[in-house]
Amino acid sequence: MNIQRKKYPIFLAFILITTYLVFVDLVDGDWSSLENSLDNLSTFFYESLWPPNWKVIEAQSYPVCERNWDFLCSPAYIGITETLKIAFVATGLGFIIGLPLATLASRNLYSDSIAIPFRLLLSAMRTLPSIIWAIFFVILVGLGPISGVLAMTFYTIGYLGKLQYEAIEGLSNDPLDAAKAMGLKNSEIIQRVVIPETANNLISQLFFMFEYNVRHGSVIGIVGAGGIGYYISTYLKFLQYDKVIALLIILFIVVVIIDLISIKARSYFIDNATFKSPSLFENFFRVK
Amino acid sequence: MCDVIYATNLRIGYSSESILAEIKNLQIKKGEIVSIIGESGIGKTTFLKNIAHLLKPISGTLTILNSDNAPERGEVGYIPQKLGLIKHETVFFNVLEGAICNESILRSISGLHEEKVIDKVEEAIELMNLSNKIDEPIKRLSGGQQRRVAIARTIAQGPKLILADEFLSELDDKTVENVWKAMMNYADSNAITLVIVEHNIERAKLANRCFKLEKNDKLEYSVLTEVKI
Repeated sequence: MNIQRKKYPIFLAFILITTYLVFVDLVDGDWSSLENSLDNLSTFFYESLWPPNWKVIEAQSYPVCERNWDFLCSPAYIGITETLKIAFVATGLGFIIGLPLATLASRNLYSDSIAIPFRLLLSAMRTLPSIIWAIFFVILVGLGPISGVLAMTFYTIGYLGKLQYEAIEGLSNDPLDAAKAMGLKNSEIIQRVVIPETANNLISQLFFMFEYNVRHGSVIGIVGAGGIGYYISTYLKFLQYDKVIALLIILFIVVVIIDLISIKARSYFIDNATFKSPSLFENFFRVK
Repeated sequence: MCDVIYATNLRIGYSSESILAEIKNLQIKKGEIVSIIGESGIGKTTFLKNIAHLLKPISGTLTILNSDNAPERGEVGYIPQKLGLIKHETVFFNVLEGAICNESILRSISGLHEEKVIDKVEEAIELMNLSNKIDEPIKRLSGGQQRRVAIARTIAQGPKLILADEFLSELDDKTVENVWKAMMNYADSNAITLVIVEHNIERAKLANRCFKLEKNDKLEYSVLTEVKI
């Protein structure tokens, strides 16, 4: 009884001790590399990173800018808009392809003999990080945004598919039982019960995935798959860390803006959101 | 063999190691209104799910509408305890779910519904006095109205057998009377067999026949017996 009551402190102590022991084993007891780390960080920060070089929001010297506003020809603008476009297309494609796969992977709709192979497929797609998918597609279709879109789409299918089948399996049994007892086919049940019942979750996940993909745009660009990552990778090669930090600050601001829009938008669709907006349909579509 | 439900030596449960109930012999004919009573967790819902072909019996014979196989599309209407309505969707959408049993899968999926199907939806909604709520989302309706939507969905389906699982619970007496009357009138006038799981004995007595699932001292599982009402 006493052990039962103290299970959480015991569990926490177990995690702390095992983490420490594994860490010691990992570094072989040699902590000397940490000795000068703070000094190194300070030197690197003030000599290479700070202040940010805001030339990244000025027009590139080549090709010549033919737009009215220089910012529209800057690496920051070109990079971030390309990243946003890649993330948008990949999220949309990933959602459309992922949803049918997720329904097939749901154990409350299909038997294990069907669901488990589709779970394995989604799991395999998720196992490879988006950067590995990006390397694969850069080799396959060459440098540029198409390989970025394909890499992100594949990863999105795996990741979003898992979220989707978990939402479907979290459905209450009652609407499914009523539909199954009527003799409706699975395709009808998906259309008339599963999608309407999970719609709020699915849309909320879609926003989350878009924001996630924008953040990952900086990573996959490093291997030549387009977007802001391409510029970050170029500046890293030429040791222009002040430009890298400027681009990262811009990316951070964009992600924060998307996050705020996403929180607001998701609140329309989640019943237990932190704050609740009136229904989107009430605001825009309902005739009062 | 013109029984709507016929069961002999039927054992039900979730696995052969945990048998919930045994039904030695049960015959329910067309047009009969039957109630099943018993304590919570005794196997009433499990029995209903077996009749609806949502669960398989562990052993024995269970014939529904003269067939050992799953009933034909639309033949069995099932109203779960929590009704199984799509809460964010409208009354029309929910009742249409039942009515699509009367058309081909292709038409149902494409949304090109036959006129007779739309008529069935509107008739069922009107029968349940919900015409003024036809475009209201379910979550905005009261408990009694939601139960009437669930009945309308089953009526639009046009089943031969209706299974209702404690669908009158959590309602006040007046609403129970209204919902019950609506269901009885429909079942009576269309010779539909109605099986209702109920824990309230007074309500169970409203049926033609009443069965009780109860534990036997000698057995680990419950047994179904007919009780006089």
